[in-house]
Amino acid sequence: MSIFSEARREFWRSYTSKAGTFFIILLSLISLVVVLTMPLDFGTKYWSNPIYWVDYPKTSPPAWINTFMSEKLVEHQVLYSYTPVQVEDLGGSYMKIYSFTYDFKYNQFPSFLTFRIRGLTFYENPPVIRVHIIRPDNKIISLLTYPVSTEGVSQTAPYVLYKTEPKRFLLSGDPSLFRVLSDFLYKEFHISYSPEKVYSVGVEKIIFGVPKDDNSFEPLNGKYQVNILLYCENENDSLGEVAMVFGGRVYGLMGTDTLGRDLFQGLLFGFPVALLIGLATSILSTILGAVLGIVSGYIGGKTDILIQRIADIVNNIPLLPLLIFFTFIFGGKLWVIVLILVIFGWPSLTIIVRSMVLSLKSSNFVEAAVAVGANSIRIMARHIFPQVAPFILAQLIFYTPQAILSESALSFLGLGDPSIPTWGQILDYAFRNGAVYLGYWWWILPPGLLIILSAITFVLLALGLEPVVNPRLRRRR
Amino acid sequence: MAYSKLGLTKTLTYRGISLVIVLFGVLFLTVIVLGATGVSDRILDSMLMEELRGIRQQLVTQIKDVEQLNKAVEEIKKQLIIAYGLDKPWYERLPSMMLKIITLDLGSAKNIQSFSGSKQISVIIMERLPNTILLVTTAIIINFLIGLFAGTWVATKPGSIIDRLVSLYAAISYAIPTWWLGLINILVFAFFLRLFPYTGMFSAPPPTDPFLRILDLLWHVSLPLLTLIIALSGSWIYITRSLTVTTAQEDFVNVARAKGLPENLVQRRYIVRVVAPSILTNVILGLAGSIGGAILTETVFGWPGMGQLYYEAIVSLDEGLILALTYMFTLVYVIARFVLEVLYVVVDPRVRY
Amino acid sequence: MESYVLEVEKLNLAYRTLRGDLLAVNDVSFSLKPGETLGIVGESGCGKSSTAYALMKMVPSNTSIFTGKIIVDGENIMEMDDADLRKKVRWKKISMVFQGAMNSLNPVIKVGFQVAEPLIVHDNVPKNEALERAKELFKLVGLPQDFINRYPHELSGGMKQRVVIAMSLVLNPKILILDEPTSALDVMIQAQIMNMLKDLRKSLNLSIIFITHDIALASDLCDKIAVMYGGQIMELGAAEQVLPDPKHPYASKLIGSIPTLRSEKKLDFIPGAPPDLVNPPTGCRFNPRCPYRFELCEKETPPIYILDGGRQVRCFLYKGKG
Repeated sequence: MSIFSEARREFWRSYTSKAGTFFIILLSLISLVVVLTMPLDFGTKYWSNPIYWVDYPKTSPPAWINTFMSEKLVEHQVLYSYTPVQVEDLGGSYMKIYSFTYDFKYNQFPSFLTFRIRGLTFYENPPVIRVHIIRPDNKIISLLTYPVSTEGVSQTAPYVLYKTEPKRFLLSGDPSLFRVLSDFLYKEFHISYSPEKVYSVGVEKIIFGVPKDDNSFEPLNGKYQVNILLYCENENDSLGEVAMVFGGRVYGLMGTDTLGRDLFQGLLFGFPVALLIGLATSILSTILGAVLGIVSGYIGGKTDILIQRIADIVNNIPLLPLLIFFTFIFGGKLWVIVLILVIFGWPSLTIIVRSMVLSLKSSNFVEAAVAVGANSIRIMARHIFPQVAPFILAQLIFYTPQAILSESALSFLGLGDPSIPTWGQILDYAFRNGAVYLGYWWWILPPGLLIILSAITFVLLALGLEPVVNPRLRRRR
Repeated sequence: MAYSKLGLTKTLTYRGISLVIVLFGVLFLTVIVLGATGVSDRILDSMLMEELRGIRQQLVTQIKDVEQLNKAVEEIKKQLIIAYGLDKPWYERLPSMMLKIITLDLGSAKNIQSFSGSKQISVIIMERLPNTILLVTTAIIINFLIGLFAGTWVATKPGSIIDRLVSLYAAISYAIPTWWLGLINILVFAFFLRLFPYTGMFSAPPPTDPFLRILDLLWHVSLPLLTLIIALSGSWIYITRSLTVTTAQEDFVNVARAKGLPENLVQRRYIVRVVAPSILTNVILGLAGSIGGAILTETVFGWPGMGQLYYEAIVSLDEGLILALTYMFTLVYVIARFVLEVLYVVVDPRVRY
Repeated sequence: MESYVLEVEKLNLAYRTLRGDLLAVNDVSFSLKPGETLGIVGESGCGKSSTAYALMKMVPSNTSIFTGKIIVDGENIMEMDDADLRKKVRWKKISMVFQGAMNSLNPVIKVGFQVAEPLIVHDNVPKNEALERAKELFKLVGLPQDFINRYPHELSGGMKQRVVIAMSLVLNPKILILDEPTSALDVMIQAQIMNMLKDLRKSLNLSIIFITHDIALASDLCDKIAVMYGGQIMELGAAEQVLPDPKHPYASKLIGSIPTLRSEKKLDFIPGAPPDLVNPPTGCRFNPRCPYRFELCEKETPPIYILDGGRQVRCFLYKGKG
């Protein structure tokens, strides 16, 4: 027992160990939180599914950069309403009004505008939905008129639509809105824009702005009221949720990529994946390498020569080209990557362990054990292994960052597991979409920093363990 | 005299054979995998179809009747199937396939062309190989020299602040992916600071004047080289330093001083000369990593070398090219390694049998 | 009065450690005539090796105290600067065979060259001439001449030892210090080396300082014996006088603890442990383990008393007798 407590004390003495331990606990906690709170199929179901991210702004930097900007960038806002604020009886039919207010206080325009409804229930004829927006200058624009289509509805009342998948209206690309705005501009400002010109200028500029002489638009700040009118025949007809997405130019903690994916979620999911890959690879290759090293060193003879030759040859093989080759052939599944890394990773440990075992073989207590009549397996397990165990442990920890770095390199080349977001994969997507050349720093910086962080954690731990393993390096008291 | 010469030859022969086994092993392995997974069938099939298409185009000008044309093409197809060996199972094609690759008869690429317009894989590879060698070798040499000078200098001040900073720098640079550092460098120096070009080996179009051409080359190679140096010199310095510190504590260094030898001679002959084999070992060990690093760095910087070719092959799903490149990489690695091993035996008399 | 080739007066050497100054060599004085052999014996850690390093002025960087006179061939090297020391004294007047000769040779350079090196560097002798001299030396130490082209790893332990000895003689030094030259070798080789040293001593008129913990070896080769304990010389005198009749209690215990074959004598051993040189015992360093100690021994450090025949003893038992 005292060996362990002395080892522990020795370990704690340096700053590297303390830092390493702190980070490994941090990483593990985050991974634990992720595993517990995020769905395990996050990769296939959400990350790889572009539809899920449609309402997010595309390639937007994180929201907090606004604290450093003198001119604030438009923030992404989604406004909801669940119950009507007013119900009017029109005699024979009803009009339910849902409403919310958008406070526009920026110097640029929102990046897009989307209207969304979820959970429509009606009992008789399909209702009609109208949306209009009242500007601070009291001008009104009718954004949408939609007679509900009965496609896909159930056979009997109550008829329910858009329960699982919401119905989206991408107003920024809606041709009928272009016509409406063309009329609006002519009527209110005596400016003649064709619907095509409205499209090329962008609906957001017209809805949220005031035209100026030089053909540009100045943002009109103030409160905009959005009214959603549901014209229905039965008073029990209702909308579960109405929402308007005012596309921002910044989003969230880590920003978004070209598909609008929230990088914060993607990066979070990468934590447990990185830890898993790193540890799985290093544990497996360490076990393989250590066992072969001990057997090779202790048994000696032909077995030794054979294992040594194989180790020598495998060690000489350049890793990345073959890694690329195999993931290309077999697909970049996680287990394939781990398997290849293990197969090419064991020789370096075997060679070192073997030489340690060779010198141990002639030590006194091993000779004593042989004299007593212990069999080889027993000797290897009980006498030799404990002596090399600390070194093996240190190697295990030291090999983990290599595994993490190798996997991220593979993913960066596009050979990783496409269904799981890893940090390398995020960088691959970034590179392919020219993020480097377009200056999307929030897409490039964080994933790399996280890779470094997880690699450094293990490096620090390994450095902290070194004095424990190699007594010659211990600092003098 | 004869004694050491024989020992030298024997050592080198053993090493040489070992490396050749590696090469053949890799070749064998990749060919078997391609065969067993049916990928080689696919490759040959698509090559056959490609050739057939070409033949058909030729024949169209000669045979006007469609029926006759089709029959002629069918006949030729049957001959081609035999010629490509597709009528036999993959394991019977093994020997000839291996022979082909060894003799560098590598076939043609699917979509990629050489700069001169050829689709021959061997031509494409030979075009790109010098670019890779230029980048990688320069980086290794610079890092080696930095490591040597900075490392031996730091070793004279063990335990000092600069020593600890070096260790810290080495630890951090070990954890930084070189390719990511490349991305950051492009972001900072090309995008934000506009000091260096984004990508490529020359500007488009490249300057014709040879002097300007070289300048253009230097301008383009700066960022990739800088990345490789920042990312890798740390561990070089650290390793050199550690080895030097250890060696400087050896008894024979003390003896050298006792013999009254001047200090700089002691440094050169008793420390650096003794440490040189170990440092060379590190060059050897880092060689495999350099190959991988080449692939990644070239991809990031759009450097037209073998590494970037590999990336293009992956993206365009060209199995034939990937197979050829895997072999070529291993070949280059084996040759480089052998050269270094020869150097090592020359430098360290202790390994001669 | 014959001239001395080496005179050491009141040599003190201390190292700085975390616990304080470690006094490795304390008030050591002795002298050596040409052709004379002095054996320095004692337990591990008694300061023998430190004295040797001090004589070469090869003290480590954490040295805190280094005083005294070391007069080599008439010159006090303590007052010499490093450049002069390197050019005129080191290896030319005084050379050394270090403990652990196994590691004294540069592994990547041929041994012949290493032997010839001081000639080439110091005296600007051309290389082939220097190698010829190396061949002569090899012959002298009993090695085949073509060994000059071998590397250290091609030689056995005994051979390496001979090379190191040859190397130490290349500039014809007047004084040769040997620090445990045979401790790592087996008895047969040991005997050969000892014989070789005797021959060399005669043919070259070499003065030798022979450091060892093996008293039997020392008795074989040495004219004078110095017994060190705790950094101090406890007894110094002619070998044929000291060995049969040691005066200092420690010396007599030390010499008495040598096992002799077929002797009925019970083996003497010295209870206790060597002194802590950072906080040495007050008074005589040996007093905690001395069977003859009395009150004065714990209070004051005994000076050196000189007895008849030039024998020096550092013990209060001989107060008033010298």
